[in-house]
Order: sequence, then C-alpha cells, then structure tokens
Amino acid sequence: MTTLSLSLSGVSRSFGPIEVLHDISITLAPGEVHALIGENGAGKSTTMKIMSGYLGPTSGAVLLNDARVQFANSQEAEAQGVVLIHQEFNLADQLSVEQNIFLGHEKRRGLLLDIKAMQAEARALLERLNCGVSPTARVRDIANADKQMVEIAKALSRKAKVLIMDEPTAVLTERESEVLFEQVERLKAAGVAILFTSHKLDEVKRISDRITVLRDGAVVSQGLTAEYTEDQMAEAMVGRDVSSLYPVRDTAIGSDVVLSVKGLSVPGFVQDISFDLHQGEILGISGLIGSGRTEAMEGLVGLRTHSGSVQIKGAPVAIKSPAQAQAAGLCYLTEDRKSRGLLLNKGMRENLTLQSLPEFTNWLIDQTAEERALTKAVEDFDIRAPSREVLVGNLSGGNQQKLLIAKVMLAGPDIVIIDEPTRGIDIGTKQQIYEFIHALSRAGKSIIVISSEMQEVIGLADRVLVMRLGRISGQVSGADMTEDKIVRLAMGLGATKEEAA
Amino acid sequence: MTFTRLAAGAILAASLATPTLAQDTKVIGVSIPAATHGWAGGMNFHAQEAVKRLEEVYPQLDFVLATASDPAKQVNDIEDMVATRNISALVVLPFESEPLTSPVKAVADGGAWVTVVDRGLAIPGIEDLYVSGDNSGFGKVSGEYMVSAMPNGGKIVALRGIPTTIDNERVAGFEAAIEGSGIEIIGMEHGNWNRDDSFTVMQDFLSKHEQIDAVWASDDDMAIGVLAAIEQSGRSDIQFVLGGAGMKEMIARVRDGDKMVPADVTYPPSMIATAIELTAVGLTSTAPVSGRFTIGSVLVTPENAAEFYYPDSPF
Amino acid sequence: MATTDATQKPNPLLDLKVLGPILALVVLIIVGALLNGNFLSAANITNVLSRSAFIGIIAVGMTFVITAGGLDLSVGSMAAFIAGLMILVMNALLPVMGPGWPLVMVGMLVAIVAGTGAGMVNGFLITTMRIEAFIVTLGTMGIYRSLVTWLADGGTLSLDFGMRAIIRPIYFNGILGISWPIIVFALVALTGELVMRRAAFGRHAAAVGSNDQVARYSSVNVNRVRMMTYVFLGILVGVATIMYVPRLGSASSSTGVLWELEAIAAVIIGGTMLKGGFGRVWGTVIGVLILSLIDNILNLTDGVSPYLNGAIQGVIIVLAVILQRDKKAEG
Repeated sequence: MTTLSLSLSGVSRSFGPIEVLHDISITLAPGEVHALIGENGAGKSTTMKIMSGYLGPTSGAVLLNDARVQFANSQEAEAQGVVLIHQEFNLADQLSVEQNIFLGHEKRRGLLLDIKAMQAEARALLERLNCGVSPTARVRDIANADKQMVEIAKALSRKAKVLIMDEPTAVLTERESEVLFEQVERLKAAGVAILFTSHKLDEVKRISDRITVLRDGAVVSQGLTAEYTEDQMAEAMVGRDVSSLYPVRDTAIGSDVVLSVKGLSVPGFVQDISFDLHQGEILGISGLIGSGRTEAMEGLVGLRTHSGSVQIKGAPVAIKSPAQAQAAGLCYLTEDRKSRGLLLNKGMRENLTLQSLPEFTNWLIDQTAEERALTKAVEDFDIRAPSREVLVGNLSGGNQQKLLIAKVMLAGPDIVIIDEPTRGIDIGTKQQIYEFIHALSRAGKSIIVISSEMQEVIGLADRVLVMRLGRISGQVSGADMTEDKIVRLAMGLGATKEEAA
Repeated sequence: MTFTRLAAGAILAASLATPTLAQDTKVIGVSIPAATHGWAGGMNFHAQEAVKRLEEVYPQLDFVLATASDPAKQVNDIEDMVATRNISALVVLPFESEPLTSPVKAVADGGAWVTVVDRGLAIPGIEDLYVSGDNSGFGKVSGEYMVSAMPNGGKIVALRGIPTTIDNERVAGFEAAIEGSGIEIIGMEHGNWNRDDSFTVMQDFLSKHEQIDAVWASDDDMAIGVLAAIEQSGRSDIQFVLGGAGMKEMIARVRDGDKMVPADVTYPPSMIATAIELTAVGLTSTAPVSGRFTIGSVLVTPENAAEFYYPDSPF
Repeated sequence: MATTDATQKPNPLLDLKVLGPILALVVLIIVGALLNGNFLSAANITNVLSRSAFIGIIAVGMTFVITAGGLDLSVGSMAAFIAGLMILVMNALLPVMGPGWPLVMVGMLVAIVAGTGAGMVNGFLITTMRIEAFIVTLGTMGIYRSLVTWLADGGTLSLDFGMRAIIRPIYFNGILGISWPIIVFALVALTGELVMRRAAFGRHAAAVGSNDQVARYSSVNVNRVRMMTYVFLGILVGVATIMYVPRLGSASSSTGVLWELEAIAAVIIGGTMLKGGFGRVWGTVIGVLILSLIDNILNLTDGVSPYLNGAIQGVIIVLAVILQRDKKAEG
C-alpha cells in the first residue's frame, strides 16, 4: 500500500463576512497519529471538513504528497484516499453491516449485486480490525464501539490512506476505546496517516505522536506529544490556567433527607436500588455504561415504567410521568442533549420555557416574560450565542448544555438529576458548569450527578454510589472517593484489595 | 369482492348430480363498478334486483355479482370468477375500456358467453351481446328539447361530466342537435357528475355571464348543484335547467310541473338488468339474443313522468 | 462547532418563506382581475370565500395535526359520513320535533359529537395503539366512505324538503352582507392562529412534531397533545359539515372526495412543514384561498382547456412550495 501525506498550507476559511479559520498549516504524515485539540468552536470541525473535501478553503492550499489538490466534494477526496469519519455515525441504521460498508460503492456482477464477494470482504475487513460483529447484522442492533469499527472498515474498504476521525471516543466506553486504540496502532503501523480530535486529554497524551492546538480558529501550539503535559495542553486550548478544574466545596450539607428511594426497579435494567439524598448534597452515581445508571434515574422521574417507593421531603409520592416528578420538585436533565434535551430547529426562547410553559401561560403565553427569562438565563449561565434568534442546533455543544441546564432549572426543581453534565464539552466550559452545579448546591438544591468520567464524579460529588449490573454495588465518600475504589466496585470487586481477598 | 349468493348448494348439486344435470347448472358472473356516484348506485340496485328475481325464475342458473372500485380490482374479480366459479357467461360493465379488454377477451376465448354493458371494449367483436345506452342519442334528445323549448334561440351554459368517451359523445350529439338553431353555448366546464363541483362551476358562470337563458346540466346530480347556485344568486334570467339520467327526485319534479325542471332525459341505470336478463335467456333457451341492443334515451315530460318513477330505487 | 451563518438574521420582509405564499396569492388576484371584470365583484368574492370555508376550516385543524408530526387522510370521508349522519338524524327526528331551529341545533350537535368521536378514534389508534397515522387514517378513510355509501344505499341522502328551507340560511345568509361560512372560517382561522402562536398547546404541538423525545423529557404529555390535535381536527370537520349540509341538503358517497388532499396541500403551501415541528395557520388560510382562486379563475376565463385545470393547479402548488424552500437544507 502506497502512503500519502496530507497538508494544509496557510488555509483560511470564511462564512459570509466572518473568517473562522486563520492561516492554518498542518501536516499529517504517513504512520503518524496526529491529535487536533481545542475548545468547542475553535475550528476543529471546519479544519477537518476542509481536509476531507466537505468544504473548500477560502485561501491557502490543500496538499497531497506535496502536490496541490482541490477536492470538489467529499466523494472526490475519498477517491484519493482521504476519509472523514463523523462524530455522529454516518450509518444507515436499518441496513446490514455489509450493506453499510459498501454503500455507494457496491460490487456488482453484471446487473446484480455480488453479495457473496461483499460479505466476504466485509468479514475480512472486520477481522483485520479484530471486530467480532457479523457482516449480516443490522447496524441498529450493534454496539456503539462496533459502529465505530464499521465506520473504520468502511473507510478501509475505500482504501483510506488518510483517516480523519472526529471525536471517535466520545460515545465509547473506556473498554471500547481501548479496542479502538489497538486498531489505530495497527493502521499506523500500516502507514496510514491519522488525525483525530478528542476532549479527553489523557487519550491524546497516550495515543498521539503529534499535537496541533487550535484556539479561535488559529493554531496556537504545535509539536510532538511528548513535549506536552496534559495541563499544558489544556492551558494552550483555554488560554488560561485550568489546573483547578473543580471548585472548592464550601457548602455544608443539610441533615434533612429530601429524597428517599426504596427498592426502585426498572424491568430489564435496574433491580432494587435504595438510597437517600440530603438537602444541598451533591450525590455522584458512577458505574460502567450499561450498569443501569441512566435507566434508574429515568425510572425515578417516570420516563420508564418502574416499581418501588419514593419519598420526597418525607411525603410518599407516586411518579408516573415527568410532569408528576416536576410537580413534586424533581427534574432529570438528560445525557443526550441533541436528541432528548433540546429542539435543535427551534430558538433559545422556545427551548428555555418548554419545560415550564404553564408558568408563562395565562390563556396565552406571555412572550415578554419569556424574553425576560431568556435574558436572565443568558446572564446566569453565560450562554454565548451569536444572536437571540439563533437556532439552538447552531449553538456549540457547551452553550447547548448551558441552555439545557437553564431550561431545567427554570422549572424550579428542588432536586435535580444531571446525567453526564459535560459530555463532549471543552475544558473551559466544563469548569463553568462545575461552578454552576456548586452554585445550585449553595442555593439549597440537592443534586445527583451521573458521569462516566471518574475524575468528574470524584471532583464534584460529596458521596458516590457505584452501580453494577442494575444494582448498587457500593458507596464511597470523603477520602475513600478514589478512582481505584470506584473502578473496583464498578467491576464487581470489593472496594479495596483486602475486601476482595 | 362482493359475492352475493355464494351458493353452497350449487357446489353440492354439481358433485352429486348426474352429468346431464350438472351441465344444466350454469353460473353467470356479473362484474360492475362500485356505487361511487348516483347513477352507479342505481345501476348496483338494479343489478341486485335482477339477480334476485332471475334466480327464482331460472333454478338452473346461479349468479355471482362482484363490484369493483377500480379497473385493476375488476380484472381480479373476473379472473377469480373464471378460476373458482367456472362461469358460463360474463356480464360486464367495464370500468375503463382499455384495461378490461384483454381479460374479457380471455374469458370469451375460454368459451364463455360475454355480455358487455354500456362502455364498449377497445376491440370490437369480442362480446356476444352488447347492451348500451345511446350516449350520442342522449345528447341529441337533450339538444332537440333545447331547440323546441327555445324556438328563438338564446344563450346557454353547459356542464360536462368526467372527461371520458361517454361525455364526449353526449356533448357531440348535443352540439349537432342545436346547430343552426340560434342557441349559443357561451360556457362549458366539467362538473364531473358531482353536485358540489357543479354548484361551484355554476356560481362562476353566474359571475361571468350577465345573461344566461338556460342551462344544460347533462346530469341530474349536476342539475341539483346548478339549481342551488341559481337560487342563491337570485337571478331570474335563467328559464330552466335540463339534467339527465332519470334520478327519481328530478323525475318527481318534472311530474309535479316544476318550472325550472320542465323535462329530463333518461339514461337508465336499469340497462344492467336488461343485460343480465338477456344473458339468462341466451343461456337457457334457443331464442337468438346475440348482437347489439341499444336502449334509447327518452324525453321525460310531465305527461309521461310517472312511467319513469321508481320509488324503491336509490337513484 | 457553531455554524456562523446563523448570525445573519434575515429581514422578514425579504424572506421568501414568509413572502412566497402571499406573493402567489397577490399574483393570482391580479391575474384574475385582469382576465375578468367580475372577478372582484362582491358576489364572486363571497362565492369564493364561502366555498373555501369547508376545506379552510378543516385545513386549520390539519395544520395542528401536521405540525405535531401527524397526518389525517380520513377528513374527506369523515365529512361525508358526518353529513350523512346529520341528515339521517334530522330526517328521523322530524316527525317528533317538527321542522324548526331546535331540530337544526340537534343536527349541529350530532355533527360536533360525531366529529369529536371520529377524532378520538383516530387519536386513540395513533397514540395509545401506536399505529402509524398514515395507516390508521387510510383505514378510517375507507371505513367512513363505505359507511356513508351504505347509509345512502349507494345513492344520495337528502334532507327533508321542509327542513331544507330552514337550514339553508346557514350557508347562504349572514350578517352585514358577510355569509356565515366566511364568518365561521375567519373565527376558526383567527383562533387557530392565536393558539398556534401564543398558546401552550400550539407550542407543545410544534415541540412534539419537532422531536417527541425532547418533548417527553420536558414533561410534556406527548400522547395527550397528539390526541388533542386529532380531536380538534374532528371537531372542525364537524363544524365544516354544519356549513356544508345546508348548501345542497344532501350527502352521498361523492361528498368530500379528495378534501383531505386539498386540505393537506393548503397546509403545505402555507409553509407548514410536512414532517412536523413548525406550523402557521395564516399560511394555511392563504393556501386554501390560492387553491380555490385557481379553480375560480379557470372557470371565469376561456383561455385554458378545462382538461388542464389539474395541471395548472399542480404547477402552482409546486411553485409555491419551491418559493419557500429552505436553502440551507442542502448542507
């Protein structure tokens, strides 16, 4: 297999009058893993789109093996061996793995499809990636990590020599990420030039050879990964010191139990979990993906059928729907802001008040009051939008998350469950969101935080419940809140090595 | 498919009876369009009545009646009749000429008697018997009445049916009949044999033309819409409205001497009964019935209206 | 990453999405006025507006259904069925109650109750039974159409002649020279516009159509919102039938044929998104007027073969939708 190197040389890109990329130069070398990092909105996606032919540069050049090229579209780039794998999978859910891999490039024998050959090649590709999924499985039925592998197999089937991956690990568990990294290593050894983006700096440190840091559409730092510490990367991205990511916990937890859950079960996901939440407390819930964390909380607020008894401030409540939960002062903030949290094709005002519309309605909706609420939310949560009328889908992930928090808090809950508060969000915004969560606690709200990021749970919570296979496998607090202990509980070992023995 | 009288008895008889008797038990298939508008409703009524009556008259005959809502379904109906009921004769009122031609030809080629009603097939000569109304005669009778009612000529508007051969023949017959009489058609639009459409079209005619002496609505359903529009406008220039087909409400108005409805022209939906009856005669006797049988359109006036009034018919 | 083109806020006066349908309507009015002097006469305008009222009233309800991500193909048959039922009940009660306004009121009540019931049936099958709206309403479309044919025995159901004189003014009379169908249509449209823009129900319908998961996670009772859109549509079909029956005093299997498609076309011409999430009632009203004006103009002129009426209507529908196409949709 011949190799390719892809370079951007002095590339700028404008949308209308606004220049969003300024003079970017970057080289992806064969057999090298290049990490492109930066905050949301720094220009990573635009850079990748220019590399892969989805967008053209306004000025500057794209070079393939030092020869200037102009891709008319992404198909042309793919034909030359440059493939972009999107963060949101570009797979047809209802088609099989094999059909997806060859979509648009089907092998034919005469007029008919050569299904046998395609299945054989799909199987070979997947084997090469060490992926056990069957070529005939439907994509909607396979795990996220496998979908990522199918995307890569698809890229390989198109003879990719330059592979560009937009946040490949955002939806993967740590174990799934490990599998992916192994494949990246193999592709690298085979001479593929690889570029990926990630918000997980430990990952970047581990698997990349070279780093380019973007901030506000310009390259602010570039060099060998070995030359950076994670803190230095973060500092370059944010432009200020971010070593103190988690605010200092300065709030006393009340002694009143505001939420008491006994024997909560969600059929198929959660069995018999019980816990108490105190006034002003931040309770973390940790566990592997699939351990039933999200399902338990969705059951609690009436989004799933469930059984068990729930008391709020000492009074038993029956919660059959999110509206009933909300009436009892309990709200759940989904982990999936794009497809469950916000209406992407609506404005900020409609989104902000959707959950608390009755508060703004007296026969008709009071739009002036809505505007006032939006002004306040924008100030309180530092939502940065190009204009008040912008469609929410056009906001950056961080600003969407802030709006989602503002929306749920507008409903005035005393107890709020926040599922993955900072998924896919840059480090600067993360810090802000942690600060908001602390502020809520200071204001007397009681909070449950679910997170896959161990550091986040430890940094934020006063106490952590660990779930495993639909049950609570343990609880840690204070000095016991260490990654080691949480992982051991999540994996089904004792909290300490001694206990396990 | 709506099979009436799925005669279990016939099957039983066929299996038990002697060969000579079995030969005598014949099945006549009747395939007609569903009752989607008034005239078709009347036609369905008469077909059912005829089948009921003839089954009593001819114990050796069995009938199978199917109504179809589109040409494709009618083709299926006919194929089913041949395959499952082994019909000796088919009476068919084709939904459309073209799509029904080859399926009906297949039935004829199989040796069964074929009677075609009203709408001819695309290839002539397939059928043994063709029973039809006279569309150009319908237009001619209507036109002649117009000429006699307006000896000094005048301005009329005309409403046409759904664009089909039937409609074209009627209009051509009408135009030929009024030629040179001084009657001028100042507007002609499709009312689609539909009350609501004709109401709308007539409203617009009334807006467009200052003076309208009479209306050829060409169909009784359309005449009802036209009359409502005239009543709304309060205009007195329109002397009368001539419909057609012989709907019982309109026949009653003719009979009762309504000034706006002085006459009607028949195009009887009962022609299906004629066709079924003639087919039964052809199968059971030696009387010659093959050939063409045309049912002429008759002018209904207050004098003869009572003869054309069928109180039990839905049409 | 945020796309930056969102920063440029379009001027609503130059926005074809807003302007498209209005422009099409204005062009039609100018063309009509040029072709025939009677086009702008009070009588013609009254005719066009009154006959728009049936489809118009139904289309306002359809706007909510489509905005909430649904569809209802059964409205035309439903109207025919309700009209048939209304006539049957009035004819049956005539010997008991005698001709008069009380009997008319009973007829109206029958129409409203039947409409509500029919809407609830559609809504129940779609929300509780979780069957696709297209399939449910295709089914009920056939059911109501057969029922009215059956009630009429294949022919036409006619209101008793004595009652017809009493009920006739509901279509033909009015106040201050404006006929009742126009007044009712205007009231329904104004209320609908207000509900869509300013009431929680309209906002919830748009949210459900935009993304029902988001609505569910935001404590909106998705099933109830969906159900209510079908019930409101059913009630409005009842109201439209109350306007329709007095006109010709009859109902048959050909009543209301293709009304569902005209109503849906009007909604889409008006700028409501077929896939749901965004609706505007005023646009629907303009869509209805465009459709009836095309027919009216073609009847008032001689230039075009009547065989081509459908083609002209089709071209104008497609043009109206092209004019307001979202250009960003390509990206």
